[in-house]
Amino acid sequence: MSQWRWPAGVRCGVFLSVNFDAESHDLRSTTENRLYGRFAYGRYGTRAGFPRLRALLQKHGIGATFFVAAADAQRHAEHVRALAGDGHEIAGRGLALEDLSSLGNAERGVLEKSRDLLATISGMSPVGFRAPGYNLSVNTLGHLAALGFEYDASFQDDDYPYLFDLGGRRLVEIPICFALEDGPAYSGRHSHLRLMKTWRDEFDAMHEAGTLVPLTLHLRGDIGSTRAARIAALDEFLSHVKSRPGVRFMQGRELAAHARSLGLTPEPDPATAHLETLKVTPYRGDISGKP
Amino acid sequence: MAPVPFPEGCRCAVLLGFDFDGTSHEVGRGIAPLGINSWGRYPGKRGIARHMDLLEKHGVPATFFVPGYDAEQYPAVVKDIDRRGFEVAAHGYLHEAWDLEGDEEEGLLRKTDRILQDLLGKPVRGWRSPSGRKSENTMGVLKSLGYLYDSSEKDFDQPYRIRFGKGAQDYLIELPNNTYSLDDFAFYKFNLAPPSEVLEHWKSEFDAVIRAERFFVLTIHPRSGWGSGTPGRTQALDRMIGYMKAQPGVKFFSCTQMAQWCLKQGAALEELSFA
Repeated sequence: MSQWRWPAGVRCGVFLSVNFDAESHDLRSTTENRLYGRFAYGRYGTRAGFPRLRALLQKHGIGATFFVAAADAQRHAEHVRALAGDGHEIAGRGLALEDLSSLGNAERGVLEKSRDLLATISGMSPVGFRAPGYNLSVNTLGHLAALGFEYDASFQDDDYPYLFDLGGRRLVEIPICFALEDGPAYSGRHSHLRLMKTWRDEFDAMHEAGTLVPLTLHLRGDIGSTRAARIAALDEFLSHVKSRPGVRFMQGRELAAHARSLGLTPEPDPATAHLETLKVTPYRGDISGKP
Repeated sequence: MAPVPFPEGCRCAVLLGFDFDGTSHEVGRGIAPLGINSWGRYPGKRGIARHMDLLEKHGVPATFFVPGYDAEQYPAVVKDIDRRGFEVAAHGYLHEAWDLEGDEEEGLLRKTDRILQDLLGKPVRGWRSPSGRKSENTMGVLKSLGYLYDSSEKDFDQPYRIRFGKGAQDYLIELPNNTYSLDDFAFYKFNLAPPSEVLEHWKSEFDAVIRAERFFVLTIHPRSGWGSGTPGRTQALDRMIGYMKAQPGVKFFSCTQMAQWCLKQGAALEELSFA
């Protein structure tokens, strides 16, 4: 299982990804005619935040991966094309941040349509995907593999990318880590000062251990990293990361291609053991939301 | 009652407990271990091995509390825990974090006991409730399985004898823990504290304990997400163990080692009776 090897000269790879999540995120809680006031944090991301984050990535020479819902890409096609033009990767995130575990038979169509819309707008067919809310149905991985996606980036179960075997098709999984994501901390109203302390602790240890560093950002004005103070904190953090030996920023597509080149033993679909268990074991779905 | 007189030269006893909490935690709730719910896959893939490496580096014993389902899903990992000299104890079947009714509780306690015994070829000596729930029947079943101790109560700062019946043998050794302050879950699940802050908090707890009851029970989860399996949080644990070890007279015990020592103390150990 521990067969992961970094490319020559790399001690740890940093996967900087951005969940674009503009109006689509707000529309999970409200309707089009009410995208005002408290539901304008997505608009903040595309108006105030976008130029700041784009400039920061440019300044550091970092190629990032942006996961964009197709509806957000349609609303902000120029943003998406600008990102692609900067060399950033555009990857899939559904049509409008659907909860994939609730779509049933419609799921495959949603994934397919969002892929095609994103390809038309960005000019590149997305090879990566991240499930909105990190919620997958038991069929999501299989659909992604069948639709030609190269990788998913929604799990939190490993230190390195790895492979799934989905009925003979291979899909790379690039696992993330909530400790290195802005959303959980900022939605808990923590200060960026506290979050940066966490990120320093986590990054320094990951660098020492030589693992993947999955840094996950949002564009938004509430749970995202694009307010001026947060961008400044991020700027300082990225400088710290870059100052360490053997660090390379790698996009999802680059990590996926590298993972495929290593001859890793693929893992079975985790849904299989789960579905077997459900057949023979009573469970308590009624407390599913409780810790 | 005077504090328990710990073994000769032991100024403070430290018990490190690792709750395996693999995919059982989600699967038991009917949730597929995918995406945001895939955290339980981390212990079996990375966290347990990383924590065992850490314990070996420090040369300290520890107890791993393993749900039966996780032992079925990750038999090689659980065997490895035993092979490397750490204690394996029971922790529910599907990490049942709810009240079990009627015969269900006894059935699941026996089921997990059988799974762990069949896998390791040796008796299980202790149990920690997943989520801390027990019933008035729990301890009798544990005793009938030959268990020496329970580590689920929250009511005391020292080990004690917990009596559940009037018979001479109707008691267990209780090794109480605290999941609000001496548990990684409390911080990484609820307030997302930076690992260095959690370390300072635990040090402050330890400084108080070593001046008072001298019994320190730390609960760790080798998970990603709300556990300490990942590198940064393992490093905080590394530094915590180093901090404790550096103080003279601090000794580490597996739960069974501590329970066996407690059993020898007879009346010197406080008894709490529910008989």
